[in-house]
Amino acid sequence: MAPTPPRSSLFPTLMTLFDIAALLAWSLLLLKFCWTKEINLLLHPDYVWLAYAAGLFLLGLGLFKSVQLLGRSFNRSSRRVARSQAQAAEALPHFSLFPFGSALLLGVALFGLSFTPQPFSSQTALDRGVTDTLTLTRSQPQSFRSQSRPEERTLTEWVRTLNVYPEPDAYKDQKAKIEGFVIHVKDQPDDVLTLSRFVITCCAADAYPIGIPVKLKGSRSAYAPDEWLRVEGKMATQTLSGKRQLVVMATSLTKIPKPDAPYEY
Amino acid sequence: MNQLNNVLTLFFSLLVEAMPFLLLGVLFSSALLLFIDERKLIAAVPRNPLFAAFVGSLIGFIFPVCECGNVPVARRLMVQGAPVSMSIGFLLAAPTVNPIVFWATWTAFRDQPEIVFMRVGFSLLIATIVGWVFSTQKDFRPLLQPAIARSMPVPRHRSRRRKKHEESVSDLLQSGTFILGQSGQVQLDGDPLQAAALVANPVLSKPIPVRLQMMVDNVVLELRELGGILVIGSAIAAIVQVSVPRDVILSLGQDNVTSILAMLLLACVISICSTVDAFFCIIFCFCIYQRLFTSIPNFWSND
Repeated sequence: MAPTPPRSSLFPTLMTLFDIAALLAWSLLLLKFCWTKEINLLLHPDYVWLAYAAGLFLLGLGLFKSVQLLGRSFNRSSRRVARSQAQAAEALPHFSLFPFGSALLLGVALFGLSFTPQPFSSQTALDRGVTDTLTLTRSQPQSFRSQSRPEERTLTEWVRTLNVYPEPDAYKDQKAKIEGFVIHVKDQPDDVLTLSRFVITCCAADAYPIGIPVKLKGSRSAYAPDEWLRVEGKMATQTLSGKRQLVVMATSLTKIPKPDAPYEY
Repeated sequence: MNQLNNVLTLFFSLLVEAMPFLLLGVLFSSALLLFIDERKLIAAVPRNPLFAAFVGSLIGFIFPVCECGNVPVARRLMVQGAPVSMSIGFLLAAPTVNPIVFWATWTAFRDQPEIVFMRVGFSLLIATIVGWVFSTQKDFRPLLQPAIARSMPVPRHRSRRRKKHEESVSDLLQSGTFILGQSGQVQLDGDPLQAAALVANPVLSKPIPVRLQMMVDNVVLELRELGGILVIGSAIAAIVQVSVPRDVILSLGQDNVTSILAMLLLACVISICSTVDAFFCIIFCFCIYQRLFTSIPNFWSND
């Protein structure tokens, strides 16, 4: 009769199984975010390769631990080696802080596999305070190249240009062609909507909204909040909420689909 | 529903951003704990307490271990005869003054490099000063656990009587456990076996393949623990950013002193790993800087 394994050896095996499951689930989660492009809603593109590399590394680590566990199960001499390794591992300089981390990591990864991140909405932009200026934590590039033709500037390039020289009259009658989502700001009149984008510098945690008011010929109710628009028109100066601002006098508004990468950088 | 979605998106954003840095930190610390012999480091450290504290604070650059990995290393440094100032400097600085944290902070605040340099620079300064202050305690053993205290080298007080006594007694005739191969002879009190386990990194005597296996095991062990804490920290950060009104966060610190105290308290509650705490911090910096910005009068709007 084969000797029964000691009862105490069950707990480490269970922990190892949880570890392997958590490693593989997290690798799948990271790779899924990368493959489905959902990563664009979570990270700045400069750091996507880090998430990709982490996913591949975790996959390798999970597979290695699986092979190790299988080897131990089928090979008695491997079991002896494993026991001696476990004894050696006890000598490792480590303080156990959170022994059930694997179960938590596994649960989060499984939930993440079924979760689809959504871009922030117009309400979030209103909560965070949409502006046409960049505050201190926000991306303040020491130099940036803006399109010399005004109608080729993106919304972010317009805001950066405004940041450098904020006098709205300097841009009077310049052509504009910008894309973004619609926000209805309470204080603004019914014929004005704000076209907005979220800008991220690192990850979604630091996303901040920027926007430029658009003066319409009719009521803004024809354009629902969160709807994506391409607005063409000319720049002008208007006083909104007691503040002189650069405003796009819209000549054409086209509804466009939500882009895959809705944030600007 | 919108709020819940925002919380989850922020939560996964923080995790996906921080996970690679956590992995990198865990990999480095596991590799170095299993392959570096600290005794060689100690031999090169200057004996002057201030310089020793400074060098100890910088060791994190070659030993990038976070706070749960550096305690045993600091303990081994002490037992092996490293100056107290060096061990304390390392203990305080290593979680921050290391390349992984530097890179992670740079990533989180890449438009404000001054934050990266101030974080590393001030941590270095504080750790050096505190390490230096600790060096005034000549015999550190009363402050330590008995098992470690017994294993520490006996400090040699160079009083005239003691010097005379030392000269009259040959080193060869002294009893106790000695560490061989050191530039100066280090004597240990207490149980020799226990002392040996504390002094040398026990893993260094294993063959390389076994060490590699142990390195993988250590990576998984640390990932399990620090990953779990990262999940909790990210969840708190995401919930705070979405559900707590911005005014409440801003009122955490109405001035420089109370805002620092509030963040210290929050750090105690969340206990997030130093490798990834920069990402957590972004959320609060956003709010606090926004308050600063709104207090700046907008001259262009008033003409």
